[in-house]
Amino acid sequence: MENRKISGFNTLHPAVLFTYFVSVVIVAMFCTNPVMLFLALIGGVSFFGVMKGAKLFFQDLCFYILMAVFIAIINPLFSHNGVTPLFFMNGNPVTLEAILYGVDIALMLVGVIYWCKCYSEVMTTDKFLFLFGKAVPKLSLVLSAALRFIPLFRRKLKEIRSVQSSLGLYEKKGMINRVTAELKVFSSLITWSLENSVDTGASMKARGYGLKGRTHFSVFTFRKRDLGYLICIIVLVGIVILGMSMGISDFKFYPEISEFNFGLKQIAVYISFGILSFIPFLSELWEVIMWKYSASKI
Amino acid sequence: MKIKIIKQILLWVIIPLIIIFGVVIFYDRAYAWISLCVAISGCIPFFLTYEKRQGNTIKLVILAVLIALSVAGRFIFSFLPHFKPVTAIVVLTGIYMGYEAGFVCGAFTALISNFIFGQGPWTPFQMFIWGLIGCLAGLLNKFLLKNFVLLLVFGAVAGVLFSCFMDIWTTFWYDGTFNMGRYLANIITALPVTVSYAVSNLIFLLILAKPFGKKLERLKIKYGV
Amino acid sequence: MEILSIKNLSFTYPMLNTRALDSVTMTVEQGDFVVLCGQSGSGKTTLLKMFKREITPNGKCSGEVFFKGEPIKDIDDRTSAKKIGFVFQKPEQQIVTDKVWHELAFGLESLGYDSKYIRLRVGEMANYFGISSLFHRKTENLSGGQKQLLNLASVMAMSPDVLILDEPTSQLDPISAGDFIATLKRLNTELGLTIILTEHRLQDVFPIADKVAVLDNGKLIAYGKPREICRELKKHPVSAGFPSAVQIYNSTDISTDCPLTVREGRDFINNNFSKRKIEIRDTVPKTEIAVELKDAFFRYEKEGQDILAGTRLKVYKGEHFSILGGNGSGKTTTLKILSGILKPYRGSVFINGQKMNRKPLTEYSRMGIAMLPQNPETVFIKPKIIEDYIELCKIKGVENRDKKIAEITESLGIKGLMDKHPYDLSGGEVQRCALGKILLANPSIILLDEPTKGIDAYGKISLAKMLNKIKSQGRTIITVTHDVEFSAIVSDRCALFFDGDVLSNSVPQEFFSTNNFYTTSVSRICRDRFINAVTVDDAVSLIKEGGQYENKNN
Repeated sequence: MENRKISGFNTLHPAVLFTYFVSVVIVAMFCTNPVMLFLALIGGVSFFGVMKGAKLFFQDLCFYILMAVFIAIINPLFSHNGVTPLFFMNGNPVTLEAILYGVDIALMLVGVIYWCKCYSEVMTTDKFLFLFGKAVPKLSLVLSAALRFIPLFRRKLKEIRSVQSSLGLYEKKGMINRVTAELKVFSSLITWSLENSVDTGASMKARGYGLKGRTHFSVFTFRKRDLGYLICIIVLVGIVILGMSMGISDFKFYPEISEFNFGLKQIAVYISFGILSFIPFLSELWEVIMWKYSASKI
Repeated sequence: MKIKIIKQILLWVIIPLIIIFGVVIFYDRAYAWISLCVAISGCIPFFLTYEKRQGNTIKLVILAVLIALSVAGRFIFSFLPHFKPVTAIVVLTGIYMGYEAGFVCGAFTALISNFIFGQGPWTPFQMFIWGLIGCLAGLLNKFLLKNFVLLLVFGAVAGVLFSCFMDIWTTFWYDGTFNMGRYLANIITALPVTVSYAVSNLIFLLILAKPFGKKLERLKIKYGV
Repeated sequence: MEILSIKNLSFTYPMLNTRALDSVTMTVEQGDFVVLCGQSGSGKTTLLKMFKREITPNGKCSGEVFFKGEPIKDIDDRTSAKKIGFVFQKPEQQIVTDKVWHELAFGLESLGYDSKYIRLRVGEMANYFGISSLFHRKTENLSGGQKQLLNLASVMAMSPDVLILDEPTSQLDPISAGDFIATLKRLNTELGLTIILTEHRLQDVFPIADKVAVLDNGKLIAYGKPREICRELKKHPVSAGFPSAVQIYNSTDISTDCPLTVREGRDFINNNFSKRKIEIRDTVPKTEIAVELKDAFFRYEKEGQDILAGTRLKVYKGEHFSILGGNGSGKTTTLKILSGILKPYRGSVFINGQKMNRKPLTEYSRMGIAMLPQNPETVFIKPKIIEDYIELCKIKGVENRDKKIAEITESLGIKGLMDKHPYDLSGGEVQRCALGKILLANPSIILLDEPTKGIDAYGKISLAKMLNKIKSQGRTIITVTHDVEFSAIVSDRCALFFDGDVLSNSVPQEFFSTNNFYTTSVSRICRDRFINAVTVDDAVSLIKEGGQYENKNN
């Protein structure tokens, strides 16, 4: 098993996972409300942390904090909107609004990047293939075959390289010589792979590829638990989207920063989105507790 | 028949509805939303045409091989940043295997690269733009095959366009609207990358194009592909 | 009941004049295990592909092929795909998808079964073939043997009536190959599956075959029970690949039943011959050392295991030294260290007396080291062999280029191949061309990595001859192989590589006759009577020299 960790969220049905990621990422990507962005960011970061462990997590986080600061600083250079100029640079005003908008964008960016990292971690290629396999079977086969070929080609590449280097291909030093040598190796890999693709094609035909009515098999089953999660996700997203389309969570930076509004409606939207973005983290946590509990019973 | 109708409805009714809906609720970042929708939905017709096309099995495998090659190619030249054979292979695929295959090659190379290096919101854009480059090469194949210089120019221009398009998206992404100042700044900061894209496309096409044609020709003769 | 039959089948490839198959007529009964043999280029693969409509090559074809009495071109697509299974030679190239489970389901998906049915079949296959633990793995991470087993399982998932296999074990190491053939035997006896197989390792398959068919230049020259065929084709070149017991038997005039297995062969020897002995002669002059490893240590990763752990090795000038050992024992790594591709982290490498540890790769080739890789096609990067030769001459600064090329191509018999594309050549031909390219730099020490992989018995004989010729020119050869039979024929000394070190090294006669398990079949057959006989030639010479028929001496 390639690193399939014992994990609650990971093992959900791909359709549920995909729905989840798409809804969270879309809200996190296009909403400007700092509260929601903050919730999304924390949710994503905590999920990532619980998946990857503390060490990798902190290394990563430092990088993104720096990036966020950079984005916040840089924004006023391009955007001179806003009504509260702090000072002037080269005759252009640097406004409070622009800086805060930069912070907001940075929040959004880092949040989305973290969610995408989680997505990459959870939605492995086989889950992705499963989702689109039914709709576009031919393309999903192309994708699957390409994924199968990449490691093979990399191995072959290493082999050709090592053989050719002992035949003196890399003897001449210098960048141009190196590039030409690598190009020759690459060209040789192209030949090898094209010649051998014929065999792969024959093996597919021999196993009946091209017959009418090809079906799509998968190892994933949709269970009761998946349905529970799916309903949860849809309800929460529904509330959030409804709230957004009613303008409840609107937040503006230009020309003037809106005031934070913590009415009942707003709080309902925030709580819904908060729960939504913490679903994976909570379910991972739940799993850990369950394991501890059942382990202590054993 | 039923599936066909559903697909048509999806294409012409649901996608525009989603876009409009998004514009309404994300009005501040409407441009970013529209660009994302365009990138994703732009891929769909190409994918569906490829899906529908009657192709032989070996061509399908060859397409997978070419995609894998262009991804694997990223690793060979990792010692030179931004010097990658990806666009060259996408262009060649478009020329020799048809425009749908060209699009699929470009889009899937982006998709798989991001499976390896990490998915992000940039994935759909890369897919769409690389796909378009492959598709364009496929549509122009008559000219590009006849005139080698034109092919090289095409490669170089494709590198520049790729960079410019990605910058448009970055701009939308930051500002939600098109901010000319930021766009120009992005283009300028990305200039070295753009130049190395263009140069590397040119070099790879210069060296790979002719042997590549010969290799495919050989397959045709030897195995009747 | 006949399941497959061919009537008067001839086939010509496009743009060729000679027939690949020439009026072949044969019938395969249900439940038969048929072995198809013949030299490379005799039309075996072409014949196999005639049984499987989906992959039948283009060309001029006359005659007919019948499946269960019906012409094969008239049966419907589904039946043809489902009922006739085909396993190809290369394990890597048959795998289409990235996951084991998907690969197993591939054929069933094509046939349009629903998920529930496929799940059951796939589970059944994974269990039967013992690959359940691999089910969720990436196909990439399987070993060669596991890959081929997966290919077999994914064909069997479609529950075919006939299984056709084209040299399925030629790319595998002996242990995986043995396992694979044992699995075939199980399918044949337990399920009554009809199997048609081409194979290099006749030693392993003759004893379990019901029938043997022999092709020669596209003609079916013999078809019958293995024992009969063995006697019938005594003088035919194809007999070079027959089991050792058969070859020994054929060198005598004794008219008892032909022995096939080691056990039968041993009984045959024990019943007919007295004790006799081959004198062990160490012919290598141990004067100059060509290559030496002194307590070399190597590992691939910092935290990893030592692949070489204090390896000591001495190879003398002018000898052919073989390093034997199982898969992953570190043989190939040793070879890479000797060729300078890898460097030991402790200990030292000496070539012709010079310490090479810190020297760059170029220095190794200047010292006369050259390596023939396991997959010889990787030696070529140009579309024509000759272009590669010229390129190497340029890189190495070879003088008198044309003369040198002519000389080498002449002596290796590859003159006619110079203008060909490397991928148009047969396995043996590519290897010879690759060897030729390496010889251009005039190396004094040649390293060979699994030179017999994918080469049939006849090819091995000519390879052995060629290597002897190269050796006689004063070169040192170091071979890494798991082919014990081959190393017994060609080497001056053999060594076993195990646990990071070279365990024993001695003359093959001594080496193999002291080993009980890791030894040649001739040694197993003859050890009671013929002391130190390890090759067929050894045994035959003892039979001839000791006079025949000292019957039943106990």
